[in-house]
Amino acid sequence: MSLLILMSVFIGGLALGIPVAVTLGLASAAYLLFSGIPLVVMPQKMYAGMDVYVLLCIPGFILAGNLMNSGGITERIIRFANALVGWARGGLGLTNVAASMLFGGISGTAVADAASIGGMMIPGMKKAGYPADFSAAVTAASSTVGPIIPPSVPMIIVGALSGISVGQMFLAGAIPGIMMGLAMMVTTYIIAVRKGFPRQPWQGFGELGRSFFGAFWAIAMTVLIVGGLMTGIATPTETAVVASVYALFVGIVIYRELPLKAVPRIVIDSAISSAAILALVGFANVFGWILVSERIPQTIAETVLSITDNKFLVILLINLLLLFVGMFMETIAALIILFVPLLALAQGVGIDPLHFATFAVLNLMIGLTTPPVGVCLFICANIARLPLWPVVKAIVPFLITNIIVLLLVSYVPAFSTWLPSVLLD
Amino acid sequence: MTRLIDIITQASRIMTGLSFLVLMGAVILQVLGRTVLNYSPVWTEELTRFALLYLAAFGLGLSFRSGDLVNVDIISEALPAPWPKRLRFLGAATTALLCAALIGPAWKYTSIGAMQTSPALLWRMDFIHASVLVMIVSLMVFSALRAVSILTGASEGLAQNRMEEFQS
Repeated sequence: MSLLILMSVFIGGLALGIPVAVTLGLASAAYLLFSGIPLVVMPQKMYAGMDVYVLLCIPGFILAGNLMNSGGITERIIRFANALVGWARGGLGLTNVAASMLFGGISGTAVADAASIGGMMIPGMKKAGYPADFSAAVTAASSTVGPIIPPSVPMIIVGALSGISVGQMFLAGAIPGIMMGLAMMVTTYIIAVRKGFPRQPWQGFGELGRSFFGAFWAIAMTVLIVGGLMTGIATPTETAVVASVYALFVGIVIYRELPLKAVPRIVIDSAISSAAILALVGFANVFGWILVSERIPQTIAETVLSITDNKFLVILLINLLLLFVGMFMETIAALIILFVPLLALAQGVGIDPLHFATFAVLNLMIGLTTPPVGVCLFICANIARLPLWPVVKAIVPFLITNIIVLLLVSYVPAFSTWLPSVLLD
Repeated sequence: MTRLIDIITQASRIMTGLSFLVLMGAVILQVLGRTVLNYSPVWTEELTRFALLYLAAFGLGLSFRSGDLVNVDIISEALPAPWPKRLRFLGAATTALLCAALIGPAWKYTSIGAMQTSPALLWRMDFIHASVLVMIVSLMVFSALRAVSILTGASEGLAQNRMEEFQS
């Protein structure tokens, strides 16, 4: 009965539009009251959930991405991506995907990617004769690469939940992220050829070199982050803070496009975004504790394993469940609630936790572009000034592409586990 | 009313920013201490953790105001008027009520900390546990302000980010 109350309040709260973190708190409080457990458990578990050293790197990476974005990096990344791939058929679509991949190396969230790249690329593509729905769809789809390519806020959360090091998680996402980006480029090219989209003239090696040097400082930040973690010189938190200082230096001294007076606002806004994530982690920790105390992870694992212990089928079931949940739920909340129960199931059939964590994050990122709740889809449709439906139709080929990559990553563990094993062992 | 909201917002922004600066400062000192200064204080890690807790505490109410504290509004905003506004009120009022119910337990949890000290900084832990209390109060204040502003007709109850979307 208590569990029924927990789930009813949770689903009802979400449907009524109450913030996800508050809904988790509300459902947990209802459960505790009904079960006769003192409410003091809530602040205690919230504190325990947030007082995790790994989470310290979240504000740093968010700030680094925001500083870079405000410091004129987006234009430079797009210019370099355009010089690199813009000459092919559907060049601006390919530029869009390549820019998202490069942007993913400095930003840890897909929303930042969709808003930054989309703000420039969608109007530009429309002006160049690309259909608005395709422009919005390719931007939304490619923005999901951001949190797969390191750094990644969802990967940090998974690290905090599972005890897997953030360095391992970041490296595990590198190959799947690149695969996803390349696959979306192929899809873009095929659509461009079939629909006769324009191509940009080849701008020559001179422009390629100049644009590379323009974007160099942004690309170097990815190297700084990955290098710092790989060599073990710095912890993820230290890497995040060093990346922020680096982004500040590049924006003010090198690019000279980051006004000093804008820095306090960017710092505070980044802190506010981080506070929302941390509160979600805090409230979800209470909810998660209730699920564990009710033996929900074990029950799920035992129930599924009593039906089948076929690894192939279990991976498929996990993916179908996550895709379904991702359609309706905010990514980080879904990750926090479902990760631990599903990890128990995955380990029950011998799936490596690092492998599971990678395909779970990749799966939930796809949810950012699926209706009815797809944040990146909303952002891009809004920028393109389109209703949601045409963008939903236009994104279908990219969704199919991303699901194919998801299946590859799900069934070939080496895509996620090889790089960490080579570079960190 | 507007003046009061401005003061609370500005105070929260300053405290959130200060917490972030303390976090950054402690980590920078940690890195410089290890690599350049040959001085590695043991308390930096603890201070960064505490700063993060207060960053979340002071920033939570602001994240409710800005819309960073996400909600799933696909159903609630698709309903015919005046239901979206009514549900925004319900969301804000429910948030404020939950927080009000949690103030007592959060105070109790804070008090428990008086019996402990942090290992490195030797700070009384009730000051650190109080971050959860601050967090709940911050969320309660901003959600109550939104509920009141909807009731008085001063606003439509949209989060700041949503208002900007509508205006753009």
